[in-house]
Amino acid sequence: MRLVQGNEAVVWGALASGCNFYAGYPITPATEIMEYMARLLPGRGGVFIQMEDELAALGAVIGAAWGGMRGMTATSGPGFSLMQEHIGYAAMSQTPCVVVDSQRVGPSTGQPTMPAQGDVMQARWGSHGDRPALVVTASSVKEVYDTTRLSFEWAYAYRVPVIILLDAVLSHMRENIELPVLPASAELASPSGDPELPFGSHPFMPFSAATRTIVSGLAHDESGATRGSGIGTANEQILKGAIRQIENDAPRLARCRADRLEDAEWAIVSYGITARTARSAVDLLRADGVRVGLLELHTLWPFPEQIVQALAQRVRGMLMAELNLGQLVLSLRAAAQGMCPVSGLGRADGELFTPEAIAAAMSAEIRQIEVGGRMSHHV
Amino acid sequence: MHRAWHGDPLHIRLSGRGGQGIILSGVVVAEAAMLDGKFVVHTQSYGPEARLGASKSEVVISAREIAFPEVAQADVLLCLSADAYQKYGERVAAGALSVIDDLVVGAGRATGEVMLPLRRTAREMGNELSANMVGLGALIAIAGIADPEHGRQAIRQWVKPEFREVNLKAFERGMELGAACVAAPS
Repeated sequence: MRLVQGNEAVVWGALASGCNFYAGYPITPATEIMEYMARLLPGRGGVFIQMEDELAALGAVIGAAWGGMRGMTATSGPGFSLMQEHIGYAAMSQTPCVVVDSQRVGPSTGQPTMPAQGDVMQARWGSHGDRPALVVTASSVKEVYDTTRLSFEWAYAYRVPVIILLDAVLSHMRENIELPVLPASAELASPSGDPELPFGSHPFMPFSAATRTIVSGLAHDESGATRGSGIGTANEQILKGAIRQIENDAPRLARCRADRLEDAEWAIVSYGITARTARSAVDLLRADGVRVGLLELHTLWPFPEQIVQALAQRVRGMLMAELNLGQLVLSLRAAAQGMCPVSGLGRADGELFTPEAIAAAMSAEIRQIEVGGRMSHHV
Repeated sequence: MHRAWHGDPLHIRLSGRGGQGIILSGVVVAEAAMLDGKFVVHTQSYGPEARLGASKSEVVISAREIAFPEVAQADVLLCLSADAYQKYGERVAAGALSVIDDLVVGAGRATGEVMLPLRRTAREMGNELSANMVGLGALIAIAGIADPEHGRQAIRQWVKPEFREVNLKAFERGMELGAACVAAPS
């Protein structure tokens, strides 16, 4: 048992996943990830580079992947905005990598030391064009470790940039957890697949001297060629294939935790640090005899539509609590398809909700729905 | 008398000015409680506030898994500066214990507020920066928030080698101050 900080858990999870390359630029509240990497990577035969900015940081991580290394970077809001260009590039070039965004209050410089969950939509849609997206989050230090491990696995399985959303509280929070023993530095599996077709639906293959590989952010076909008739169609096929692969696997990718939903008439839906507050809110409401439960989302994108739909069919109302002014509630409402009312509770002042505030918002929604229900009954 | 520090979960807030080692003292409390076999969550105020201004570090301790990670109303408060007292002095639970440095003006009138010479003792021992450990020793002696031996182990674990001895001594001195305060008739 050890007292571990959230940011430290990212590093242990990454190293356990064979991460051997880190490039970054320091920023509150993500800096400790970089500091631990600087301390640990060189001694394990890995590479650590402090770059000139966040664009360069993710650029280096993408290049490292092409060279056969497992890379990641970490940042916060302002740096995450800068990284959007290269997140698109990683998606276009089908390069596996992991990006941590420890969210603080935005937009712009915002409140550097205060927590937020305002980058949820940016993590999905921040880069231009269409792309497959895998975005995960966590609410405890142990989950940060597990989520980081999963992110490396998924990055390589789907050849995509996987984004881990943390926040200023979780990044700096310490909890006592059991950390598995770190394996000796991992070797990547030897390249496989057709060397002439490095893109499309093929497994990721680091470049080698034996083959000539063209990588481009331009539209390309499976060989990497960017010219010729039919490139637009070929590129669309590649993108569609990548997006479909994640859509098809969405049920497997949809990680979440159901808490006291078995007999629930009402559901709070939340994620990240706010889900912990919501769990305490459920305690308060249950003590008052309210049959409420919590759906805690670990995978944010792809959005777990099927799970939400099944829940919307059997509860009388849902409340989304998040540290922004109304982002993931839009997806929740869309997925609920009007089967039950969905309301949102948000704030962006740098403070966490109190359990009482979430409980009060749920109670208010319940009252409103019950009054509305009686009135429509009389009509 | 109701003693808030006998409850579970136990909410502890350590406060002072940036530079007084408030975050370190939180980590030490959390480590000690972990060694006691409890679940712990430690959160910290960080950034501009941690460099002067009021600074805080919070620890929640429980026999069960902890959901909400922060402290709304402290059951146990340590206060090393006037700024921190102004900000957090009243944000305590009914029956809370507040150990406050006796140089803080205007404090000590409310029930449960114990004024102790934390900074002066640390200064007399040669390093005022160890006032946080004097305070921790006092909290452990008065409220029993962790096993004293685990407190010492935690200090050895988290304090840099060059400052370990001075911090351990400050902790022992704080334990004595706390014990004297428990023994004294109120």
